[in-house]
Amino acid sequence: MNAFAVAAMVLLAGFVPLGIVALRSRPIDGLVALEAGGTLTVLILLCLAEGLHRSFEFGIAVVAALLSWVSGLVFARFLGRWL
Amino acid sequence: MVVDVLLAAGVTFELLCCIGVLVMRTTHDRLHYAAAGSTVPAFLVLAAVLVREHLSSGGLDAIAAVALAFFLNPVLLVATARVARRIDGHEVPDA
Repeated sequence: MNAFAVAAMVLLAGFVPLGIVALRSRPIDGLVALEAGGTLTVLILLCLAEGLHRSFEFGIAVVAALLSWVSGLVFARFLGRWL
Repeated sequence: MVVDVLLAAGVTFELLCCIGVLVMRTTHDRLHYAAAGSTVPAFLVLAAVLVREHLSSGGLDAIAAVALAFFLNPVLLVATARVARRIDGHEVPDA
């Protein structure tokens, strides 16, 4: 196991505090946690792609960066208009 | 060795941002930490990847992913802050 694989696994621990916020706080705070989770996911995917020596998987991190942004905007729009 | 230092710093700062989202009390304070997650930690992890990948296709993809996160996140966080103000009862002019 190399440094990138270890980094990816340690970064997974970042989802615990974000999950607590998403479960226990208001919906808007859950959205903030979701956005922070999106960034965390991008970094985990980068570390996994490098740690597993699969350079074609860096594209997944690019897609994740874009889609986590779009989903955050959709939720923000939804929370602002209909709740 | 350089990779290990960059990764350790990036992972530490990212986890601190996640803990900050948990610890802070108000939505706007939480937004600060959610925003910080896509700046310094992301560039530290990117630097570690580039030390290994250099400017190969994987390295360029990694640059694209971090650049997307860095440049798009502020738009998302401003939108979220506007929603938070509206939910808290403040008048927010329509965009």
